[in-house]
Formats: sequence, C-alpha cells, structure tokens
Amino acid sequence: MSVRAFLKDRFLLLVLHLVCMGMLSVFLRLTGYNGTNVAIILLFWVVILTAWLAVTYLGRRKYFEETGRILENVDRRYLLGELLPASFRLEDRLYRDMIRRSNKSVIERIRQIEASGQEYREYIENWVHEVKAPITGISLLCENGRQPEHASAAAPVTASAADSGPALHPETRMRETLRAVSMENQRIENYVDMALYYARSENVYKDFIIRRTSLQEIAEEVLEKNRLLLIKNGVRAEVDCPDAVYTDGKWIAFILNQLFLNCVKYRSAQPVLCVRTKRGKDGVSLTVEDNGVGIRGEELSRIFEKGFTGSNGRDHERATGMGLYLCRKLCGRLGIGLRAESEYGTGTRMLLLFPVGNYTGGEQD
Amino acid sequence: MTAKILIIEDEAVIRRELQILLENAMYEAAAPADFGDVPGQVRAFAPDLILLDVNLPGCSGFDLCTQIRAETNVPVIFLTSRTDSMDEVNGILKGGDDYITKPYQAPVLLARIGAVLKRANGGRIKETTQFFHKGVKLDIAGCTLAHGEEQRDLTKAEMKILYQLFRHPGEYISRMDLIEYLWENKIFIDDNTLSVHMTRIREKVKAIGVSELIVTKRGIGYRV
Repeated sequence: MSVRAFLKDRFLLLVLHLVCMGMLSVFLRLTGYNGTNVAIILLFWVVILTAWLAVTYLGRRKYFEETGRILENVDRRYLLGELLPASFRLEDRLYRDMIRRSNKSVIERIRQIEASGQEYREYIENWVHEVKAPITGISLLCENGRQPEHASAAAPVTASAADSGPALHPETRMRETLRAVSMENQRIENYVDMALYYARSENVYKDFIIRRTSLQEIAEEVLEKNRLLLIKNGVRAEVDCPDAVYTDGKWIAFILNQLFLNCVKYRSAQPVLCVRTKRGKDGVSLTVEDNGVGIRGEELSRIFEKGFTGSNGRDHERATGMGLYLCRKLCGRLGIGLRAESEYGTGTRMLLLFPVGNYTGGEQD
Repeated sequence: MTAKILIIEDEAVIRRELQILLENAMYEAAAPADFGDVPGQVRAFAPDLILLDVNLPGCSGFDLCTQIRAETNVPVIFLTSRTDSMDEVNGILKGGDDYITKPYQAPVLLARIGAVLKRANGGRIKETTQFFHKGVKLDIAGCTLAHGEEQRDLTKAEMKILYQLFRHPGEYISRMDLIEYLWENKIFIDDNTLSVHMTRIREKVKAIGVSELIVTKRGIGYRV
C-alpha cells in the first residue's frame, strides 16, 4: 500500500477539506480578519489533517501487511476468514464476517468434492470386482467349450477311423469362435485392470505387500495370460529373469502387462519379445525389449505423459495415452525407476530398475 | 485314485463351469449350491481339496475356512475377485493354502490345484510318465524318445509337443492348439519356431529308426 495510492483513495476527503479551507478563508477575510491570522489557522488545519492522515495510513498499512503475512504463511488460504487480525473498524468487521461466510461455503464445497471423489473411487473398485465375476464366467465357459471331446473321456479314436478322414471335430468353427471370444474377454480384463489401477494410483492406501518376488514367474504368468493375443500376432517371447527382487508382484504384473501389450500394438512383421534381468551395483534391472516400430527420438521424452499418444499412437491402433503414464505413476509409488530407450524403426527397450534398498542390501540369490 | 475337490462358489455359472473344468481334468468335483452347512458338507464329501470363494452370501469364506480348519487339515484354495493385499494376507492367516484372484486362467488354476494337492499328498498321486505308440516310447521323466535300442534326448519344447500328440493318439491337433499348449507350458514360440521344432522331431524320429510316426495334414495339423 503506497502513500500515493492511499491519498488517491482519500481524494474526496482532501477535496472536501480544500473547499472548506477556501470557504473559511473567504468568510474570515470578508468579516475583517487579517491575512496573517487566516494563514495561521490554515497552517494548523493542514498540520492536524496531515497528522491524522499519517496515523490512519500507518494503521492501515500495518493491518494489511499483517493480513498479507498470514496469507503467505498458511497452506490453506481459504481459511483466511478465521485468521484475520482483530480490528475495531466497522468496515473491517463487516468484511471479515462476509469472508468468513464465503469461506465456509468454499470449505463445504471442497468437502463435497473430496467425498464424492472418494465415493467414486470406491465405486470403481467395487465395480471392477463385480465385473470380474462375469469375466471369469466367460473365460471358463470358453475354456470348457474349447476342450475337445477326448479330454473328458479316455476314448482314443481307432486308427482306421482316423485314417479315413481328418479326425477333426465338426465344431472346429465353434472352437475358433470361442478362442476369439476368449481373446476379447482378455482385452476387457486388461482395460478393467487399467481402471482399477488408475483408481488406486491416486491414493496411498491398503494396497501393496512388498515381498520376495520372482520376476521370471511374473513375466511368464503375464505372457501366459495374454497368450491368445500374442499367438495371434505371431509373437515369439523369451524370458530370462533369474533375479528375484523385493516388490509387490501384482503391481509389477500390471506394469509388465502394459509393456507387453505395447510391444504387440507397435510390433514389426516378426515380433520378438525379450524379457531379461541383470543384477548390477545399484540393484536389479529388468529389460523388456522388442523389435517393433520404435519411438521417434523427439517423442521419447514425452511417452510417459498422460494422454500422450504420439505419431505411433495415431498411425497404429488406438492409443489412450494412459498405459505408460500409469506405469510411471505406479513405478514411482513402488520406488522403481522406469526408463525407455528406442531407435526408431528397430525396436524399443523399457527398463525397470529395482534399487537395492537398505533393508535388502544383504540380499543374495 | 482321483482327487476329490469341493467347490464353494455362489455364482452359478462359475460354479458349473468350474465343476466341468475339474471333471475334464480328471478330478472328482462337487459343487453344492447351498452354503448353510459347509462344514457338514466337508464331512460328508471328504474332499482332498476345497476351492473356497471369499464373498459368499451371508458369510465370508474366511470364516468358513476357520470353521473347516477346526475339524480337518484339508487344503483350501481361496478364490476371490478382490485384489487387496490385505485380503490375501487374511486368507493365508486363516489357514488357506493358496489364494487365486479372479479372473483366473484355467491352466493357471489347474496348475495351482495340482501343486497344492502334490504338496498335501507328498507326491502320493503318481502321473503317467511313459507313453507308448507304434512301438515308440516317450519318457517324460527322462525326456527321451526311444524305439528298440535306439534312444534320443529331447528338448523341453520337443518333449511337450510329443507329449500332447501322444496323449491323443489318432487325433489331429492343430498348429494353433499346439502353440497354445506350449505357451501354457511357458514355451513362448511362434508359428515358424514350431515348424523348426517339428523338423527336429522328425529327424530324431528318423534317427531312432521309425519312418512314419507323425502324420501331417495340411491346414489341419499333426497326429501320431
């Protein structure tokens, strides 16, 4: 609050004083006062007025400086109404009252939004768990429907019958259909999992157990889970992960799932997928390498951004820009480094770095 | 001896399909639809393994497990759609032997059931490890293929392919089914690699002095 601004604010008051001074001088001169006396009266007037303005200015400045300081120091500024310094002025009190009321409504609104966000997240979680029952049902139905008859009874077809024609079941087409349904079902499951982990990634709560985890087992499990999709796309995969790490298996499975699906999405004509671990000084690194289309150099730094799809995402299958974003977020929560290397046209390498913590420093295989 | 498995699951479709899946896998399975007296059902059926859903109408699988544990040591595998880690810990604490989350893959489920049963029985249930067809012996344990005096070692992939063919003699098995079977057994190959394996198998078959073991039908598949 500058003096100038303060005076500008008191402009009308100053004008009033000047007009009064002028009128008083004219009146006194007309009634026969001499000029010196009039000047003395005006001088006193000005001195008193200046002193009064100065005191007011300092008081106001102190008040607002203190308010400003309070505002700087609290992290929830919408609570200002409760913290305003006491003031005897009527205007200050009225304003404080109004700010308080306004703040109260803001706080209520925030509460509401927080509660509805929380409710929504919980609903998503519950919904995901509900929807997994029918997904399981479909998966089992397909699995059983795809089982050829011979599995249920040990009745080998006689050699002569087999020779007379292909011992292929007439319902081959049906089995192909069920295989396709199974694959689509797996895709649904993948998307549903994304929703679940997205809902969970926001909150630090209840969900992970860090324990000794075999990366080999997790990688194999994820590959097996997506086998129909991977086989259909002619993917060959190699897994060589002898190193175990301390982490949460479920989350790693989700992250690997995303990485593998990306390898399929952005594949080359003869896709090969390699998963390897290496034990280094700072911990264990897991590499997911493919020979796919790769990522352009200028886009490499942005692939983990939310909603970033890049030229690959536009040219190939629909990309949501969520997969890698979620991966990075979950990695951050688990304390795992995630890095991408790629040469456009030859392939992509994703690196997960599991650091050796103080607790696991003595870990031996 | 076939292992007996009791399924406690409230979703009718899953219950029925689980039963079919297990019966196809040569287990004896029972799946009651009423959960009023599970400990009684356990006594009556005397299963070798129980598949127990965690969320049941009116009661929790965890509590049921505690009740079952009070009477018998039969292995229990929890099936659940909840993926909370706390639930998993809870399941293990209540005396569960394994904890599988929905949606489960049929091969994974069967593998884990097999593992728990094996652990519980101390390997009492023996699997066939030798198959014979047209005088050719496939030895699973030794990973070899033999005919008369001649014998050749097999790689894991070759062994799995032959195993699948020998199990269904006389039936054509499509390349797709073979590849899928291999993926289920952690051999992640593509179509070309399968051809390479088939060629190697043929060479080995020839080397042990058999001319026609594997029959190929274009566009359909292979059989022994």
